[in-house]
Amino acid sequence: MAESLISPDQIYREVQKAIADALQISEQKVEPDSSLIRDLAAESLDFIDINFRLEQRFNVEMPRKYFLEHVEELFGEGTAIDESGRLTEAAVTIWNARLGSAGPRVHAGMPLDDVPALVTPRTLVMIVGEILATCPATCPSCGKAAWAVADGSPITCGGCGAHAPLLAGDDVIRRWLEDFRARGGSVSRAS
Amino acid sequence: MGPCHGRVALVTGSSRGLGRVIAQKLSEAGADLVLNYRKAGGRSEAQARALAKELVERGSRAVAIQADISQKDAVATMFQEIAAQYGRLDILVLNAARAPFKKVGELLRRDLLELVENNYFSNVYCMQQALPLMQGRPGHVVFVSSLGSRFALPSYPLGSMKAAMEALVKQWAVELQDRQITVNGVTAGLLKTDSLMVLRQYWPGVERLPASAFVDLQDVAGVVLFLCTDAARSIRGQNIVVDNGLSNELLHPASAG
Ligand SMILES: NC(=O)c1ccc[n+]([C@@H]2O[C@H](COP(=O)([O-])OP(=O)(O)OC[C@H]3O[C@@H](n4cnc5c(N)ncnc54)[C@H](OP(=O)(O)O)[C@@H]3O)[C@@H](O)[C@H]2O)c1
Ligand SMILES: [Zn+2]
Repeated sequence: MAESLISPDQIYREVQKAIADALQISEQKVEPDSSLIRDLAAESLDFIDINFRLEQRFNVEMPRKYFLEHVEELFGEGTAIDESGRLTEAAVTIWNARLGSAGPRVHAGMPLDDVPALVTPRTLVMIVGEILATCPATCPSCGKAAWAVADGSPITCGGCGAHAPLLAGDDVIRRWLEDFRARGGSVSRAS
Repeated sequence: MGPCHGRVALVTGSSRGLGRVIAQKLSEAGADLVLNYRKAGGRSEAQARALAKELVERGSRAVAIQADISQKDAVATMFQEIAAQYGRLDILVLNAARAPFKKVGELLRRDLLELVENNYFSNVYCMQQALPLMQGRPGHVVFVSSLGSRFALPSYPLGSMKAAMEALVKQWAVELQDRQITVNGVTAGLLKTDSLMVLRQYWPGVERLPASAFVDLQDVAGVVLFLCTDAARSIRGQNIVVDNGLSNELLHPASAG
């Protein structure tokens, strides 16, 4: 499988490097569960910078919107975030369904503004990994199943040299949410 | 002596980007400065304070005031401080902007509120608070707009707020005609500020456009400065495009591909 061409460890090392370069800190300071905001003093422009570096490195498009924003777009405004800008019970449920028990925790009533602080190297690795996993089995340009990664370059077709076509980050999240809904998952406004 | 000598100027959003350059220009022209920024405790604040310090060291008066101008109370508090420190205001540059980058069809109510509160309400609050401090003297107001007021840019709903802004420029100009307060807009083209990093997420390759597609921050600030001098007192209610010619051509052969 194409996705196993780049291991989570390799992705982690690149994430670590992107963060260290963007924030101009040493890579040693970046731990898998460091909060970019709380522990590494990242600001919102730094997130954009880090994402851009990962996009260049892996030829991916990182999500432009937060997960809970996608939830609201699909299930309706008010389902994940209440009038006062706080997370609903439904937001917590779907968050846990997506991130599992290893992910950063949220709780009902938590301010939406606190969510960006939950971004860690580990969550970035997950997103990059999910995008890389959308690589099709064969190359759409030449039909060969010959994906390869040379050191430091994105997934490329060994047959024709084309970059692997990967789903955009926002589409990966949207697809996950649609699957969630198809599996009977629902998110509704508390009445 | 510079053309703004003895005048007090507030530039909203002047910790970084275009606002910062405008503040520097006004200071060079002799104005005393009120710098403003939104986010407390971060890099923006550090930059605003550093600029204030720099201007003071050069011999002018300057203060940096944190205020989220989308909040009416915060605007009132900022103007109380301006009144306390300077007792007057002569020049107001409404430069701050903050907006979601999204397709219009994807805007949530929260996004719409962010748009109007930060780019429309904010400027009306500032004007309403500024006018008493501008009483009895000629004054100058400049709104900073963008080409988004006239052209659709990818994921840039802020453009619609800029269109509203340019309409307000006329409205205010008429309302303040008798008070000798000029109100104008400067419609800037593409600038190389932090926002470019945001824009390139929605407009891949924008940072690689030829240099001529961009307009120098100094050039925009220079026009803002001119509109804040008495030489420009008969320019009223105009929105002046400063874009290095970008909007003159429908097709740009140089930037294709
Ligand atoms: N960049 C372009 O290509 C471009 C083109 C045409 C026109 N313009 C216009 O030029 C102006 C400046 O743009 P820029 O690119 O220099 O912006 P920028 O780099 O994003 O800086 C924005 C400034 O505004 C402040 N600000 C934002 N929201 C605020 C609020 N609610 N209260 C107080 N301050 C607030 C920011 O403070 P914090 O850092 O504390 O948030 C910062 O100082 C804007 O009106 C923009 O629409 C820009
Ligand atoms: Zn191929």
